[in-house]
Amino acid sequence: MSSANLAPVPISPIGTGRSQTVGDTFLEVVGLVKQFPGTLALDHVDLTVRRGEIHALLGENGAGKSTLIRQICGASQPTSGKILIEGAEVALHSPQAARGLGIAVVHQHFNLAPQISVAENLFLAGGLPRRAGLFVNWPEVYKRSHALLARVGLDIDPRQEVSQLRPDEAAMVAIAKAIGASAKLIILDEPTAALLPAEVGVLFGHMRRLAAEGHAFLYVSHRLAEVFEIADRVTVLRDGKNAGHWTREQMSRRSIIEAIVGSQKSFSEEAADPPAQFGDVLLSATSARGGRVVEMSFKLRAHEILGMAGLPGSGAEEALDLLYGRYAMTGGKLSVRGAAVTLRSPRDAKAAGLALVPKDRHAESLLPAASVRENISLPNLDRFLTDPVLRLIRRHKERTEAERIGRLLSVKMPSVESPIQSLSGGNQQKAILGRWLASGAKIFMLNSPTAAVDIGAKAEIYALIRQIAADGAGVIFTSTEVEEFPRVCHRVLVFRDGRIAGELLGKDATEANILNLAAGGGE
Amino acid sequence: MNATTSTRDVAGRPRLDFTVLFARFGTLASLIALLIAFSLARSDVFPTVNNLLNIMSQISILGTMAFGLTVCLVMGLFDLSIAAMATLGGYVATFLLVQYPDTVGVPEAVAASLITAALIGIVNGLIVSYLGISAFIATLATGSIITGAVLGISDSKTIITGIPDEFMAIGQGAIFGVSNPILIMLAVGMVLWLFLEHTQLGRHLYAIGGSAEASRLSGIAVKRYAPLALAICAACAGLGGLMAAAVLGAGRPQGVGDGYLLNAFAAVFIGASSLRPGKFHILGTLIGVLLIGVINNGLSVMGVPTYWQYIVQGTLLVAALFSAGILTMRKH
Repeated sequence: MSSANLAPVPISPIGTGRSQTVGDTFLEVVGLVKQFPGTLALDHVDLTVRRGEIHALLGENGAGKSTLIRQICGASQPTSGKILIEGAEVALHSPQAARGLGIAVVHQHFNLAPQISVAENLFLAGGLPRRAGLFVNWPEVYKRSHALLARVGLDIDPRQEVSQLRPDEAAMVAIAKAIGASAKLIILDEPTAALLPAEVGVLFGHMRRLAAEGHAFLYVSHRLAEVFEIADRVTVLRDGKNAGHWTREQMSRRSIIEAIVGSQKSFSEEAADPPAQFGDVLLSATSARGGRVVEMSFKLRAHEILGMAGLPGSGAEEALDLLYGRYAMTGGKLSVRGAAVTLRSPRDAKAAGLALVPKDRHAESLLPAASVRENISLPNLDRFLTDPVLRLIRRHKERTEAERIGRLLSVKMPSVESPIQSLSGGNQQKAILGRWLASGAKIFMLNSPTAAVDIGAKAEIYALIRQIAADGAGVIFTSTEVEEFPRVCHRVLVFRDGRIAGELLGKDATEANILNLAAGGGE
Repeated sequence: MNATTSTRDVAGRPRLDFTVLFARFGTLASLIALLIAFSLARSDVFPTVNNLLNIMSQISILGTMAFGLTVCLVMGLFDLSIAAMATLGGYVATFLLVQYPDTVGVPEAVAASLITAALIGIVNGLIVSYLGISAFIATLATGSIITGAVLGISDSKTIITGIPDEFMAIGQGAIFGVSNPILIMLAVGMVLWLFLEHTQLGRHLYAIGGSAEASRLSGIAVKRYAPLALAICAACAGLGGLMAAAVLGAGRPQGVGDGYLLNAFAAVFIGASSLRPGKFHILGTLIGVLLIGVINNGLSVMGVPTYWQYIVQGTLLVAALFSAGILTMRKH
């Protein structure tokens, strides 16, 4: 970009590495406005990212984070305002232009091609090194790939297919790819969504090291705990405006949450109040075994919200899948309301009154091309049949029921006939919960029901879970975010190596106690 | 996050969206435009009741097969065995009628032919569900087996003599001037429309096509549906071949269905770009079949050489898929 402005800020030479001190401004966004027909998506937004810092960008869905990133990476042009890189005003007409100036975006799913090798992915944008301009120079490809991977601290074979990598390795390959394209600012859009906690730790370690070498990161996430762990500075957007700015020393959980959600919503961080009395035993497992679950015995009562916590691979999440018949139980007994049952398939589990809200909304629970109504009625069509032979569906009855569920859970949507894809993540998840409320299930098993959902919708989903329990159902809850357990559950079973390592009741079920038990600490 | 932003964008844009209109009604509009154009060009021949009924007759076999194919494409299954299945359907019926003239009547022959086709369809489905082989490959294989089996049993001889008139009436008779094949096609279309849109089984097929895992976790016995869908598709293909045999008055042991295979897929995919873009549905398939019928008939009425029909059809398919595609692309 030739728009070299006569800016007073001296432009530091590129590639001097460590000589660049943390604190030089790399990117400056001044008074950025983006007007869409009917909405002002960005309203005079300012943002400054310095070299060597990890800058978190927070905000609810629709606050303008994505729009801001799109302007910075050249995917879209602002209506007015300035973007300065190293002090010079630039016009980013295309993603290529932004890349040329050292800005790279790593999206949630890392924009890697899964079926080809790591090395080929690293050279996807720039092209593979060649001999005589025609034949790929494979030795050179692998040599340079090794060098790039070494820079991000990754010790993997570049000939490996990307689909074989762990999510954190894939994330690091995406970052290596950005660095290979000489990126100085790497924008990470929800990079930890697919990562296990241990992998997040690895990723953060590498990010810190690269930041120390002078790379800047703009980090977008819903996970506050991570932001507190990694960010040097935080910028919050709300309704397209700047809603606050913190340096590491100033950061406080409450003030940031307030900036994100705004003054109108109060955010309850208090633990769930247990009901005065739990009801009958709804589900009991005796020495249940299968897959990663080695041995599990517990009882779930009506009105109870039971957490199953544990490090990834400990069997906590797998326990829900096992109970729902997603894979075979190899031993032990289950009974539902006192009657022994064998659940060989999700179909059996559903018939026994169980419901599962799986972890990956897009792959496992949504009908992506269908309407809200079709999504809500998916497991419930047999309730709208005219007769048991022809099995015609009473469309009016189905629609009325979907509308009732929509109102009950205050799903925000134009109508039940709207495509489910047009709803926000939180409202999609409410519709999925509604699907099972409509089915009359008595045992709800929820795996990370608030994943990729904004804070406001999270609070609503917590309230909904409490309501489901209050209405007489039993709830089994698990999540990849440990901080959710104390907030949601009455009782938490902590898994370790496929067994229940301990049980925490009420106020004892703190984040620290759960993590301690999960990691194998004494009581 | 993207979903929210895009809804907001759409909400802020109340004016008519021509891309959406084009994707939705493009094929229907081109069907009407073609009808008008051919009517103006050959006002003496094209827009007559006789010719329009003629078009319907010409598409009735294709329509019957395409309706069946719609059912399995809803679930995401490609059935490439429909050509062989059509040959089989016609051959089995005529073979039984000629071999056992005293014991097998027309109803029995028709039933036997359709049941044979449906059973092979079930086998297709079992291979897909329980052996985990993709429908594309499984049906390619069974299609080849059927072709070979029919050729072997028939010794490559066409059955011409001894076919009773009652059987030929299926293809050549008419009620109130409307030929039987038209009525059969419309009846099949009605039943399958009702099945797909208004029954639990049909809705489950759509659900599985949308997300097999979500359907399984919702308690739907997903594996049972491939045999069902492929059996329906096979029976329709068999019926199409049977109609062809009745029209011709002959049971040919090869090649009956070949001409219909690509046209049936073309019709269903054109249909999936009409009215409800991206979704396979019976009404859309009907539009696709009509479009192909009108083009072929119109061009031949105009005296255009046959090879143009292929070129126009191919172009049309690309245009239809493109119009559906822009909408899908814009969503992302």
